[in-house]
Amino acid sequence: MFKQASISRTSDDRVFDAIVYAVAAVIIVVVLYPLIFVVSASFSDPAKVLNGEVWLLPKNVSLDAYANILHNGKIWTGYGNTIIYTVVGTVVNMILTILAAYPLSRPDLPGRKVLMVIITLTMFFGGGLIPTYLLVKNLGMLNTMWSLIVPGAISTYNLIVMRTYFQSSIPWELQEAAHIDGCSNWRLLLNIILPLSKPILAVMVLFYAVGHWNSFFNALIYIRDEGKYPLQLVLREILMISQTDAVDGNVGLENKVLLAESIKYAVIIISSLPILIMYPFVQRHFVKGVMIGSIKG
Amino acid sequence: MKSALIQAAPSPKSHLGRGGRLWRQMAKRYDLYLMLLVPIVWYLIFHYGPLYGLQIAFKNFNPAKGIVGSSWVGFDHFERFFDSYYFGRLLWNTLSINLFSLLIAFPIPIILSLISNEIGSKKFSKSLQNITFIPHFISVVVIVGILNVFLSPTTGPINTLIEAFGGTPIRFLEEAGWFKTIFIGSNIWQNMGWQSIIYIAALSGINPQLYEAAKMDGASRLRRIWHISVPGIVPVIVIMLILDIGHFMDIGFEKILLMQNNLNLESSDVISTFVYTTGILKGEYSYTAAIGLFNSVINLILLLLVNRFARKTSETSLW
Amino acid sequence: MFKHWGRYAISTMLVSTMVLSGCSSNSGTGKEGTSAAKSESVVNESGFPLTNEPIKLSMFTRIAPLNGPFKDMPVFQDYEKMSNVQVKFTEAPTDGFQEKKNLLFASNELPDAFYRSAITPLEATQFGSVGQLIPLEELIDKYAPNLKKLMDEYPEIRSAITTPEGHIYAIPGIVTLAAARTDKKWINQAWLKKLNLKEPETTDDLYQVLVAFRDQDPNGNGKKDEIPMTARTVLSVVNMMSGSFGLDQQLGYNINLENDKVKIWMGSEQNKELLMYLNKLYKEKLLDPELFSQKEAQYLAKQGSGNAGFFFDQTNNSFLTIADQYEGIAPPAGPNGDRLQAQASPVPRDFGAFAITSVNKYPEITMRWIDYFYSDEGSTLLRFGREGEHYEIKDGIPVYKEDFLKTDNQPKITPYAGGGAPHLISEKVASYINPPQVQEAQKKLDPYMPKVRYASPMFDEKTAQEVNILRNDIDKYYEEQSTKFIAGALSFDKWGEFQDTLKKMNLDKLEQLYQEAYDKMKK
Repeated sequence: MFKQASISRTSDDRVFDAIVYAVAAVIIVVVLYPLIFVVSASFSDPAKVLNGEVWLLPKNVSLDAYANILHNGKIWTGYGNTIIYTVVGTVVNMILTILAAYPLSRPDLPGRKVLMVIITLTMFFGGGLIPTYLLVKNLGMLNTMWSLIVPGAISTYNLIVMRTYFQSSIPWELQEAAHIDGCSNWRLLLNIILPLSKPILAVMVLFYAVGHWNSFFNALIYIRDEGKYPLQLVLREILMISQTDAVDGNVGLENKVLLAESIKYAVIIISSLPILIMYPFVQRHFVKGVMIGSIKG
Repeated sequence: MKSALIQAAPSPKSHLGRGGRLWRQMAKRYDLYLMLLVPIVWYLIFHYGPLYGLQIAFKNFNPAKGIVGSSWVGFDHFERFFDSYYFGRLLWNTLSINLFSLLIAFPIPIILSLISNEIGSKKFSKSLQNITFIPHFISVVVIVGILNVFLSPTTGPINTLIEAFGGTPIRFLEEAGWFKTIFIGSNIWQNMGWQSIIYIAALSGINPQLYEAAKMDGASRLRRIWHISVPGIVPVIVIMLILDIGHFMDIGFEKILLMQNNLNLESSDVISTFVYTTGILKGEYSYTAAIGLFNSVINLILLLLVNRFARKTSETSLW
Repeated sequence: MFKHWGRYAISTMLVSTMVLSGCSSNSGTGKEGTSAAKSESVVNESGFPLTNEPIKLSMFTRIAPLNGPFKDMPVFQDYEKMSNVQVKFTEAPTDGFQEKKNLLFASNELPDAFYRSAITPLEATQFGSVGQLIPLEELIDKYAPNLKKLMDEYPEIRSAITTPEGHIYAIPGIVTLAAARTDKKWINQAWLKKLNLKEPETTDDLYQVLVAFRDQDPNGNGKKDEIPMTARTVLSVVNMMSGSFGLDQQLGYNINLENDKVKIWMGSEQNKELLMYLNKLYKEKLLDPELFSQKEAQYLAKQGSGNAGFFFDQTNNSFLTIADQYEGIAPPAGPNGDRLQAQASPVPRDFGAFAITSVNKYPEITMRWIDYFYSDEGSTLLRFGREGEHYEIKDGIPVYKEDFLKTDNQPKITPYAGGGAPHLISEKVASYINPPQVQEAQKKLDPYMPKVRYASPMFDEKTAQEVNILRNDIDKYYEEQSTKFIAGALSFDKWGEFQDTLKKMNLDKLEQLYQEAYDKMKK
């Protein structure tokens, strides 16, 4: 960060500082307020929320909403599915991305440029939904977790960031020396490169995991059984879908609606929690990971 | 300073010879190719394989005959799109949402990074960064859910506030006039912290002695920002700009889809959502493939133009 | 481990080349549109079981949020034993159903049959003419005595499902019970009484009543929290009220039939009057503003809350506990004296409820399988489950048992809950949806029902394409603009522009296509 010198500050500086701090404070408030509102609403008596009485702190603190979620089978099934998809998906992502990024980071690899062009071009063109769907179908992945994992196994953007990191933060001399010691490329990757690249690996895990956790569109297309729906699709139903099917008979819906209204906020919290918990553990790697990965000074 | 998001760093100098030597080079590194095997095969199958499907844009897709077996119709679907009542509106909305995003949402992370850089207290600066990162990790479904409750005309805090000051509640999500503001505003809210990381990183790479020297010369804080900080991150800005424009035509499809309704369609109907509703929901695959292709082509043209412009003016480019 | 990857990669590569090169041949194998005579198992011509050798069928279906899994429904468990046909249902939730159904056809990955699938007439023609759905007319003649009887009794069924070439590609859900084809106009009579008001007879009366509901605190809690008028969606209000402005809904579209002339009324003066009326209601906060965003469930909850003054629904199921607060009224007469119950479904109410695909090896058995549900007996099994366990016979018709209803499991055990199931809804199976109160409400509507209710006509494939292209643009435009007119987001000064745009979108051409289809149907 900017180093503050010991020279005494001028009054100009102080005014400037005041402005900077004020703007920063406003930004923090603007970012935090909606989050705090949702948290407070989730802990409040639903009636108070519906009357618009909650605006900052919880009113008539109540854990009913969370208790209700405990009894909602759909949410938990979705939760379980999403955890599985996220874990398996992220593992696949990491393995494939590393396998692609490392060789491509090697300046001594013939044909590297051609391969990079082939890969980069895919960021801008696609065959469209139907051919992709046909492919997934013909590979027998429809309605399985693989349809959510394999078609997105590598994010080209992440691949490029990781490759740049390998290339710029691990001295080439070190790799050459290892080679002279008779170290194979596989061992070089496993024993030297990866241990030296923890920051970027951590960041990539976060990127991919967040992606899996938050995605819903592929599941909408590829997954048929409601029992295999990920959390985000369950959420979509609770938070915003308007069912317009002609209902011939239904009983007790009124209660269900009020229930749904009251659990909205708690559902938002519960569904975002794991990612937010994961974040601080990875956060300290950001500077090293993203920064060196993206830019080389 | 040379940015290398895509352009590789050390050049492979004289590692390669000609003919036989190249083969030897390659054979010696067979294990590297082995590593690449699965990813490259994956790219070919999942990215290049489906490209054959683009032909349905020029065909009348008949599911029973398959993509290859359907009959050719030439540019019929394109003509239908250009003649469509919605063509102008779709193009305008797609372009304007992205243009406004670029004008408003693009500079904000840069400003945020400069502010963060100017804050003396390390702790406060870190908190600012960490707090502004948080929304990035929330899913679009949840973001739109929050927008719904937050802007609700009856129970949302914004309208409660408006009413408290004697105004009439605004149905934010159901007014075409508000759509773009809300869409872009919430994008800024969600992503400004995240996007500022890269600039903060670049700023931290600037040699502190430059600031010291400028201070000695009596340059004010603003001048130091303008003459040292900003030039220091210009290459990164250019690269980010090019990348953004590379995705100019396809931002935020899922979010727009979730926010759309008949009352805001006037300004929320964009090419990608139109492709989805007409293609998948109404089964007009060929027509929407043509629209999708049109979209990609415009995108590529924009990308090439900007890249070229950037290379000429700032000597930074994607390749 | 790495070797393993290598193997995996190679096998993936092989698979994918097969995929790419084999795509055309692979997907081109759909049988031609002859009613597949290659049945591999012998169908029993009558009685149960349908076949002596047990067979398996795969069906794609929609599961509503209220339903339980189909395999747990008593109807399918018991019917499997009766018929010797084991059905494996693939259940797609309502949310995302349309996407998945389309993708099944697009990728030619067909189940043996589509069940409760809401296939549109256009889709039926399209998928039928390319051979993905097989023609059913001969199968119906030979293997569907119940369905055939209904089709003879109600000729409008046949005309609604037969293409100009004479094929039937999908079977509808059939509703002979008139009350299940209309939404009743429910008004809060408790409020009317309290405020000393009469049942509204005209649209002006209705306006006055709604104003009173809004201002005079009929629920007596001192707050202005009454919802004078609500509905399922914006467009449903238009449908419910259009009859009062002389706008009928024939041929499954916004069409008036005058002396055998088809007239699409979207750009007409009457429609302008209707939208202006609704706009007035909306502006004065008489029409529920949540109309534009509310979910189905929210709407039903409003019915049950007793806090709504006037709304529309087929039954009283959603407000059973406070049912006596409400009564059905006749359609109010409009400014030009029009008084019509325009919203009314035809007897073949749910088009495309069932269809058989070209991959089905047992079309005869499948036809016999579905035909059972077009008998009162089969429909009873479908709607009521097991006698003794779920229902009992009262006055000769099945009625849910009290203690079963109390479990709230009623929608879980039957695929009719959530709508669109292929079966017969007659007076004999309607005890639950057609209690006396609903019958009363229907009687109020009866005098104002159109003499004949024509369902959507079937077009030949080329015309169907054309209609589809025209309607995709026109419908989208109309829905959006009428919503905006009602919400006041678009001023009525722009009405001329609206008409012009409709014209530009070739509304006249669409009208002509409907006219031709109607003429053919009349012949």
